[in-house]
Amino acid sequence: MIDLSVEIAGVTLPNPVLPASGTYEVDQVHDGFFSPAELGAVINKTIFLDPRPGNPPPRIWETPCGMLNAIGIPSEGLRTFLDEQLPKLRKLGPPVIVSIAGNSLQEWEALAAAIDESGSADMIELDLSCPNLEQGFIWAAEGQALSEAVAAAVEVTSLPVISKLSPNVRDIGEMAAVAEAAGTAAVSMVNSYLGMAINIETRAPALGNITGGLTGPAIRPLAVCSVFTAFQKICVPIIGIGGIATWRDAVEFLLAGASAVAVGTQNFVNPMTMREVIQGVAAYVEGNGFSSVRELIGLAHRVPEC
Amino acid sequence: MAVHPVYRSATVLEVKQVGPEYVDLLLREAEIARTSGPGQFLMIRAWPGVDPILPRPFDIMQCSPREQTLRLFIKVEGRGTALLKSLAPGAQVMVTGPLGRPVVDFAFSAVAFLLRGAGAAAAVHLAQSCRSRGIEVYTILSASTASRIVCRDYLEPLSTETLIATDDGSEGHRGLATGLLDRLLERKAIDRVYTCGSRRFARYVQRLDREGRSSGFVFLEGLMACGMGDCHGCAVRKKGGSGYYLVCRDGPHFPVGEVEL
Repeated sequence: MIDLSVEIAGVTLPNPVLPASGTYEVDQVHDGFFSPAELGAVINKTIFLDPRPGNPPPRIWETPCGMLNAIGIPSEGLRTFLDEQLPKLRKLGPPVIVSIAGNSLQEWEALAAAIDESGSADMIELDLSCPNLEQGFIWAAEGQALSEAVAAAVEVTSLPVISKLSPNVRDIGEMAAVAEAAGTAAVSMVNSYLGMAINIETRAPALGNITGGLTGPAIRPLAVCSVFTAFQKICVPIIGIGGIATWRDAVEFLLAGASAVAVGTQNFVNPMTMREVIQGVAAYVEGNGFSSVRELIGLAHRVPEC
Repeated sequence: MAVHPVYRSATVLEVKQVGPEYVDLLLREAEIARTSGPGQFLMIRAWPGVDPILPRPFDIMQCSPREQTLRLFIKVEGRGTALLKSLAPGAQVMVTGPLGRPVVDFAFSAVAFLLRGAGAAAAVHLAQSCRSRGIEVYTILSASTASRIVCRDYLEPLSTETLIATDDGSEGHRGLATGLLDRLLERKAIDRVYTCGSRRFARYVQRLDREGRSSGFVFLEGLMACGMGDCHGCAVRKKGGSGYYLVCRDGPHFPVGEVEL
């Protein structure tokens, strides 16, 4: 029997594969694909304190091996989330990660406290790194802002806090260390890369928001590098994200140092992806003589430095 | 009982070039053919690897549960659609569907379709459903020129009248198709209008709807990555309020008064 379970900050995930926030809605439309009960964890689309409409269209634009998005996190706000969505997430079975985003330190606090109080979450992920918000401010892009936001959330909850980091920084390993020092129990990396495209027919930016976040296999080598770098600088576990399209990609992230992986853009392309990744990782673990997927984590670091 | 979309491999049966820029594609996939309703679409991906990465959305023009087939009508515009055009019979493609809300309200006695472009494919499916319920169908097809008139062979047999308007007068009425609809509404008791392919048409139908001459609906398109409400890409602004509908989840057909055009 292959042991696929991994541990993130004291929470046991039955397997290391989960959706990236905002790429997999828990609703009936998915019932024909596979059961979300099969996932390593479930997570909501990031919730803000107040309702938000999201950005004007066009919101997405295809790029080589990837896509730009500037969705702007449409959200029904905390109250509706607690009343309607969170109970549904809780019923699915896997550990529940609630993704939150604040516009101020007070909001980070209020959100983290409310999620803690709900009693329905196993972990809280701080979305510190969406590049598409109206203020254009990325908490995880500045050491002090990152540190203060993480500390504000950690202060008011006993749940493990995951900090979702931005790749739009000089040294993401350093930022991971900042989050760790501020009390984060895990990091997830990477969020999307700031990018843009220009529509040569209209001779205007392709996205309504002008700039967007680049995701998909195009960013995978960059994300693997980020995880590999951060693994050497921090002790808390890493959830690897960035262009995972197949089980091979997931294994690559685990070897780079991720304890779990999140699938994002590929959920749009193939709604069976996460199940296929779970099965493929299990086959890899077994086929290569490992007894647990945990044995893979960070294995690539055994290579002597040159 | 809600129908859940499925992700399946489908077999290409037929690829037919139609005019200078359209392709008529026939697929075999039993389950989606059995469960699709009028107004629904599917996402199709017909190439290996990750470039292009996203599947493409297309209206289901016809579906035959008995033959286990789905017919799509595709405008060749970019790399994805060019790859679809180059498919050979026997090829396998990945499809997700049926997606979107099917039309389930048939509480009308006569319907007019005001159509331009590949979106007319959705009207073919809906016209078939209308006819099987004894609803009278009137079709107005608009195009820049005669060779770009779409879906005529499918719609004409389903329609009591089929009217043509071309911008250059190469066939049918020269000029505005909305004028044809206006005169049609004067002659016939038509209590439902569907339109697609032109913002001007949609605004015109919006006015008809507002004036109480006929209830109007519009088929919308949107840039979408997933087709099932996950990516939130295909947003269309709600009329008179804040917030957005998603074309894939809340549409693709909308009461014409509910969306900002």
